[in-house]
Amino acid sequence: MKILIADDDALSRRLLEKTLERAGYEVTAVENGKQALEQLSKLEGPRLALLDWVMPELDGPGVCRAVRKRSEQTYVYMVLLTSKGTKEETVLGLESGADDYLTKPFNAEELRARLRVGERILLLEDRLVEARENMRFRATHDPLTSLLNRGAIMDLLARELHRSHREKKSTTILLGDVDHFKQVNDTYGHVVGDEVLIEIANRLLGSVRSYDFVGRYGGEEFLVVLNSCDPAFAPGRAEELRRSVSNRAIQTAKGSLNLTMSLGALMSSDWGLRTVEELLHEVDTALYQAKASGRDCLRMARPIARTEPVPAPLLQPMRLRR
Amino acid sequence: MCVSKPIQLEFLRLDMERLGDSKLEHGSETMKKNEDGHSDPAWNLAELLERVDNDQELLRDLLNIFKEDFPLTMRSLEVAVAAEDLKNAARLGHTLKGMLSSLGGVRTAAAAARLEVIASAGETASLKGALDALKCEAASLLPELEAYMAEVRH
Repeated sequence: MKILIADDDALSRRLLEKTLERAGYEVTAVENGKQALEQLSKLEGPRLALLDWVMPELDGPGVCRAVRKRSEQTYVYMVLLTSKGTKEETVLGLESGADDYLTKPFNAEELRARLRVGERILLLEDRLVEARENMRFRATHDPLTSLLNRGAIMDLLARELHRSHREKKSTTILLGDVDHFKQVNDTYGHVVGDEVLIEIANRLLGSVRSYDFVGRYGGEEFLVVLNSCDPAFAPGRAEELRRSVSNRAIQTAKGSLNLTMSLGALMSSDWGLRTVEELLHEVDTALYQAKASGRDCLRMARPIARTEPVPAPLLQPMRLRR
Repeated sequence: MCVSKPIQLEFLRLDMERLGDSKLEHGSETMKKNEDGHSDPAWNLAELLERVDNDQELLRDLLNIFKEDFPLTMRSLEVAVAAEDLKNAARLGHTLKGMLSSLGGVRTAAAAARLEVIASAGETASLKGALDALKCEAASLLPELEAYMAEVRH
């Protein structure tokens, strides 16, 4: 584990450095508070710190206060190590944001034990962050396909709608629907149906760029948002996605299945001043036309421009059946 | 005179008062009695060896750092005391206290601590006396360190 030592006294620094290296730590040693803060501000910087109280540039409590002011970074466990020893100073040190306090000259065994406490706290924090991230993932992703769920993709689409208006960037919305999916479920069962959805989700995800969004919009419907996509290339990109489904059979427990997908598309050059709901209605109409045209094809939406400004995108879910 | 750590200001003030009442000899002996009647060595090698886990190489490193840094810090302190620069005197006293206590120089560290307290309290009149006391303690510590270094070099 990485640890930072900040002490202006070279002798004390060397002693700490060696003691902690022996204990298995990866040590970074600096000689003032400003350098300590720089190290602790690094993205992959140390999360354990031993800070001398009296230091040039910025003292130990000053470093603690500056670190605690940041809310976006991971927790840093800080121990003030100093020869100051009155109760008032101890309180002052802890109130500056230090987690623990050790007086000089330190006892090596006590120091190691206190740092192990710090490691336990950091491990606990890691577990909490991991649990929070898992919950966040579950709240925003479809459990079957691991794609963004309907709520999450609609949120992102709403943000993208604002961004494309503001930055005058081109964006394309695609709504895809697996053709004759009901027959798959009816013929082979829901387990095979799920296998098909997982595979199609993987193919769609594998066909877009890292900054595009793919979400599961409904049962066998997928919503794709192609960010910063030049209108001239949008139909071609949509065709690639369609072919990613049809160009090879899907392997399932009941054998390989040849499936296709119909797509409706709407480019931001045609968005005008409409709500998310209106845009989705238009792209859904285009998808309906693709279905009516024999399926396994793409149809571009032909929007009607709206001239009145819209205060904010409305996120009312739509339910359109095919 | 010895002051055990953690240093309590009240005890320290009493010690300082006692210092004013009696003439203490400095540097003539390497063991002095503290208020409990126990003797403190000028240099507590056993404590230092324990701190460095008996690592002789590290010990040599620390002594070399001390040999280089201590005279420089002392010189800066002398300048600060001569100029009655209390802020710098307190800071340098603090640095010396940390350095000396890490090295096991118990009595000299206590003398540096006294100087830090005096400077922090703004007691300009006592500053020179505290510096002299520190020098006296250092005078008994440094030969011990030199002797040890000479011994381990051979």
